[in-house]
Amino acid sequence: MDVGTALIAQSHRVDLSLSTAIVWALWLFVGFAGVFPGIVAYMVWLERKVAARFQDRIGPNRVGPFGLLQPIADAIKLIIKESIVPRPADGLIHLIAPVLVLVSAFLSLAVVPFAVGLAPIDPPSGLVYLIAVSSVGPLGIFLAGWSSRNKYSLLGAMRAVAQLVSYEIPQVLSTIPVALWAGSLSLVTIFDHQATFGWNAFNPPGFLAFVIFLIAGAAEVNRTPFDIPEAESEIIAGYHTEYSGMRFGLFFLAEYLSVFVVGCVATVLFLGGGAPLPFSAFPRNLIDGSLGGLVAANAILLTVFLLKVLLFIFVMFWVRATLPRMRIDRLMNFAWKYLVPLCLLNILLAAAWFEVVVRPGRVVASRWATGMIVLGMLTAGAVQLVFRVNRRLAAAAPIDADWPTVGSRAARAGR
Amino acid sequence: MARFLFLAIAALGLLAALGTVLARDLVRAGLHLVAFFFCVACLFVVLEAEFLAAAQVLIYIGAVAILLMFGIMLTRNAAGGEADLSGGWRVPAILAGLAVFAALAFGINNTVSPAGAGPWARVVERPALEPADAAWKAERSRAIDDMPRVVGEQFMTRYALAFELAGLLLTAALVGAVALAREDEAADSVAEPEPGAEARPPVATSPRPSTTTAP
Amino acid sequence: MNNDIPLSWFLYFSAASFAIGLTGVLLRRNAVAVLMAIEIMLNAANVNLVAFWRYGTPAAGSGPMPGVILALLVITVAAAEVAVGLGLILLCYRRWRAVDVDRYDTLSG
Repeated sequence: MDVGTALIAQSHRVDLSLSTAIVWALWLFVGFAGVFPGIVAYMVWLERKVAARFQDRIGPNRVGPFGLLQPIADAIKLIIKESIVPRPADGLIHLIAPVLVLVSAFLSLAVVPFAVGLAPIDPPSGLVYLIAVSSVGPLGIFLAGWSSRNKYSLLGAMRAVAQLVSYEIPQVLSTIPVALWAGSLSLVTIFDHQATFGWNAFNPPGFLAFVIFLIAGAAEVNRTPFDIPEAESEIIAGYHTEYSGMRFGLFFLAEYLSVFVVGCVATVLFLGGGAPLPFSAFPRNLIDGSLGGLVAANAILLTVFLLKVLLFIFVMFWVRATLPRMRIDRLMNFAWKYLVPLCLLNILLAAAWFEVVVRPGRVVASRWATGMIVLGMLTAGAVQLVFRVNRRLAAAAPIDADWPTVGSRAARAGR
Repeated sequence: MARFLFLAIAALGLLAALGTVLARDLVRAGLHLVAFFFCVACLFVVLEAEFLAAAQVLIYIGAVAILLMFGIMLTRNAAGGEADLSGGWRVPAILAGLAVFAALAFGINNTVSPAGAGPWARVVERPALEPADAAWKAERSRAIDDMPRVVGEQFMTRYALAFELAGLLLTAALVGAVALAREDEAADSVAEPEPGAEARPPVATSPRPSTTTAP
Repeated sequence: MNNDIPLSWFLYFSAASFAIGLTGVLLRRNAVAVLMAIEIMLNAANVNLVAFWRYGTPAAGSGPMPGVILALLVITVAAAEVAVGLGLILLCYRRWRAVDVDRYDTLSG
């Protein structure tokens, strides 16, 4: 977002030097064209390995040692495969749709601070930017389903948009506490804030927000148990049924890239970015102006960051290998009746935490302990409250219950 | 450089707007509309209002465009012939468009701006903020550098009433859209309160629920 | 010779897209397309607001960003308008099985 402002000569934020251009080119060609797709390729390999282990198989082991060359073979296969477009399909939109989805996933990575000074851009409204670009994805999915002229595609697209739009709300609401505590929407400031006040996931409202963010994030990237948009056993492959060759490859890339993005964003927002220890500025106090210190600190930060992201990715694979798919009505109920009210309550709790702990400007042990105990109880109470109210509502109105019980129809008839 | 950038964005934006108006296929019109929204967001960045650009992408492309697509899907005429241009109105419509453009261009080129300022066409550069010799310059450079915070402060102080009214409007629109789009299928269960109705968020999500509640 | 974009360019862009939007409102028969054209007009107004905010010198006591705030409110109102407008269109479609605005002629005697 800064590129426009940097181009205006009269601005007081002029930054059009050669070094900026070189950094940008490096990000574009090394990061976005090289490293991130590579990470995605090996995520696919990892997923196949992990899923295989969960199912007591071996997984890919034919191409290269441990099947390590499998992703490359897959990529070559996808690229040289014929790309078939159905005859009634709307050609241009059929082509644009996967590109939109992929661009949305790539653009989200542009504000993630991987280490100190290692963020592609740092706009002051970074979080809004992140939400904005990730909300373009559903549009691409919708267009993909619509332009294929296939009822399964259309069904998948409808399901996808309904799900993504619903889960975007709890996802956005769960990031509000983080922005509140850091007093900024810039991801770099949020990252810095956690060096002083501990990781955001390590306090009660933050933990609740973290869990909600992860659930909503899994739904945003269509992972099991929220993969009804592309449920193989129900609607073939959902919105990308009619895609083949590299066009399908783009969807594939976008999907795994968004898993990576969700991992990165969760790490930055809730797990202190690349910091290895919760309450210490450890690798960052190595930065003393010398190049060696900067490189050492950034190496530690980047390693820890990637390890944390790997943890998230593994959890997603784990969940996928373990849980069955949710039904669509339960999915919607879960978003609107459980997550959204919890998020709203959580914002109040987050404000309380801000007053108790963050307001003095540094961590005071007594206030921190008070905050942990009181807000821990309040947070547990909030979760209890939401679940209890929902149970009661479900019992009172069996038709809209989130599990239609056997007796509900009889009860309705008797009423 | 900046001029070239502006011309490129503006040309694309105008083409996209024309495409929206002229495309026969409604989904294509919607896609052109998305392109137009994006070009407007780019212009906001050129005008150093990046927060507004992000809000534009979030609300218009992320919510309004998807909502419009849903509207197109739900109101599709099975009997073909979708989205005809209205024949008899073609000439008057184009004439009206040209007339409005001519009137606006006249306004841009003549002295209708506040007294002493001269015509708008004479303003060729934005006021420099660098030597912050006036209070408004400091204020404005802070607004540009940290727009989300300043927007929040302004909404909570000076524009609190407008903010509350906007929230009220969104709530009313949410309730109204749900009430309008609800089918009368539940005639027997209409008396019972809708569970979870109080669980909907009040503000900033208004276009979304109607996509989920529209049958 | 300075490098900046003249204010009038923004105003011409805005005027042109407003005119296109107006033409669209008059030209299209489909109600959803009319709604889209209205969105174009609202966006054109927003460009104008932000351009005047950035290029003008503010009157005393008008705050740091009146144009941006007004643009944000316009965006809000536009979102609400689309939600309600589409609800109405859906309702009309259900009643008359038509989305063309010139088929909604029940009120004309």
